[in-house]
Amino acid sequence: MTDPLMFVMQSVLLVLGCLFFAVGTLGLFRFSDTLTRIHALTKVDNLGLGFIVLALLPLAPSLAGGLKTLLIWAAALAASATSAHLIARAVHVRPEPPETGEADHD
Amino acid sequence: MPPAPVSPLITVVFRGTVLFVAWWALTLGESSGLAFGAVVSALVAVVSLRLFPASGFSVRPAGLMLFLGYFLSRSVVAGVDVARRLLSPALPVQPGEITLTLNLPEGSPRWLLANTLSLMPGTLSILLEGNRLTLHCLDIRDRVERDVRETERQVGRVFGLAVDDSAEAAR
Repeated sequence: MTDPLMFVMQSVLLVLGCLFFAVGTLGLFRFSDTLTRIHALTKVDNLGLGFIVLALLPLAPSLAGGLKTLLIWAAALAASATSAHLIARAVHVRPEPPETGEADHD
Repeated sequence: MPPAPVSPLITVVFRGTVLFVAWWALTLGESSGLAFGAVVSALVAVVSLRLFPASGFSVRPAGLMLFLGYFLSRSVVAGVDVARRLLSPALPVQPGEITLTLNLPEGSPRWLLANTLSLMPGTLSILLEGNRLTLHCLDIRDRVERDVRETERQVGRVFGLAVDDSAEAAR
């Protein structure tokens, strides 16, 4: 823990992870339809969480603790893939009404 | 052709072991809970056999490792790809849908493919009907089908299946 190189690497990974989360959320605003928004939320957040998990792994108190951290990532991935698919299928079955020009500012 | 079914005993032992390792991780290796965890894991494994019967597809460790490597590297590509498009002022996307005929057999392989594709660059699984998979693409101008076929090959390798391109050639 006192290794400065490790500390720098962990900090970089944590900041990277948070930046990706921020960009994923930006996707909610910049993209204009549900399906494209899901692309942003699943893929970018997956990567963001991956970086955060990677940064936290060296801090794990034990092997079990490290595995638990990895399990969190795996569970989040499974949940995001499944919910993305369910939302996409729901939109496909009953298409959303066209947006009323509010997203056309940019 | 589905492969010969695996013995239920092997399936129960395998699932029970995976569940117990998960329990061990979740309780941070707490020794007082191990016996309870072992009993619960065994019971859940037996019950799971009724809910999700053994499919006959067995996971190959070497194939799984290769798949994980592929999955991780493509996850990075996927995240960076969407982030790059989002941060670009012109917002270069051209969403569209494509429908593909899958070469993988029904069951776990197709299910794993559909879920993996939702996390791979530019694709999102919408509908899986029989061997037809409808995908939403972030950019229809990309070579989406080539990527899907590569992912299909990687998923096939997890289950030790050689994916032939017969369905692709038959179209």
